Amino acid sequence: MNEPALSLKKYIFAWLGLLGLTLVTTLIAFVDLGVWSAVIEIGIAAIMASMVAGFLMHAFYETKLIKLIIAAAIIWFLVMITLTLGDYMTRGWLPFPGK
Amino acid sequence: MSKSATLACREQFRTPAQQRETASVGMWIFLANEVMMFGALFTAYTVYRASHPQAFDIGSADMNIMLGSINTALLLTSSLMLSFAEHSAQAGNRRLIALFLILTMIIGAVFLGLKFTEYYQHFQEHKAPGVWFNDSSPYANSIQMFFVFYFIMTGLHAVHMIIGIGILAGLLFRTIIGTMTAEYHTPILFGGLYWHFVDIVWIFLYAIFYLPGLHL
Repeated sequence: MNEPALSLKKYIFAWLGLLGLTLVTTLIAFVDLGVWSAVIEIGIAAIMASMVAGFLMHAFYETKLIKLIIAAAIIWFLVMITLTLGDYMTRGWLPFPGK
Repeated sequence: MSKSATLACREQFRTPAQQRETASVGMWIFLANEVMMFGALFTAYTVYRASHPQAFDIGSADMNIMLGSINTALLLTSSLMLSFAEHSAQAGNRRLIALFLILTMIIGAVFLGLKFTEYYQHFQEHKAPGVWFNDSSPYANSIQMFFVFYFIMTGLHAVHMIIGIGILAGLLFRTIIGTMTAEYHTPILFGGLYWHFVDIVWIFLYAIFYLPGLHL
């Protein structure tokens, strides 16, 4: 069978890592870092999401075809958010300086 | 040919590996669809947060971070339990599959219980949008918008959790009647994919709803 099988140890390490990152991101959120707070919070969430997808959902061990589907989903989302925000920003509808 | 061998390779497939890959592609495309659905909501949230940054921080400060972080840990633990169930399925140990599926469902139910406790608190504090909302700050309208996103997105997530518990119950039934074996247990792996995906959605919900107001 071409089924990805991971050891229990890997699952437990991934889980401990995820709990650790939850603690880290929550503690960082108590400090006011201005605009960087959101960047760090989303960044850590993205790392946690790829750990869940990679290990618990075995994405790191899947075939190229499955990785392509995952990449398509992520890229589709990035295209949508980039074009939407690009539109709002260039029209000056968002309270950012410089426009 | 035994029953599990028939399930593992139905007549339209050449090999069990081909059947599994076909099913796998279908499952992942379904999850990509889910990314599109939640992605649209995350994009809308981003636009509103960029337009009303102070109000979204103030709204987020009303979140119960204690319940939120406990829920995050619970959901991650439920995913670990489900991974154990998948591992037991690959070994063909039905007793362990059933045990870990039940544990996953119990933790999922506790998550929902805490989530609804939070909803109840928001109603009590007049934070639920609509006729229940009452806030005297100058940002009241934008704060209400924050809570609209909060209820829609965590609500949609909770609906996914309820469906997930239903799927796990179905898998538990199929495990008990003996359909899940070491040769054929694809449904458990795919139920797992769905549950883990819902987990990923929560990780982002936690980051965008609970964390922004913590520094206030």
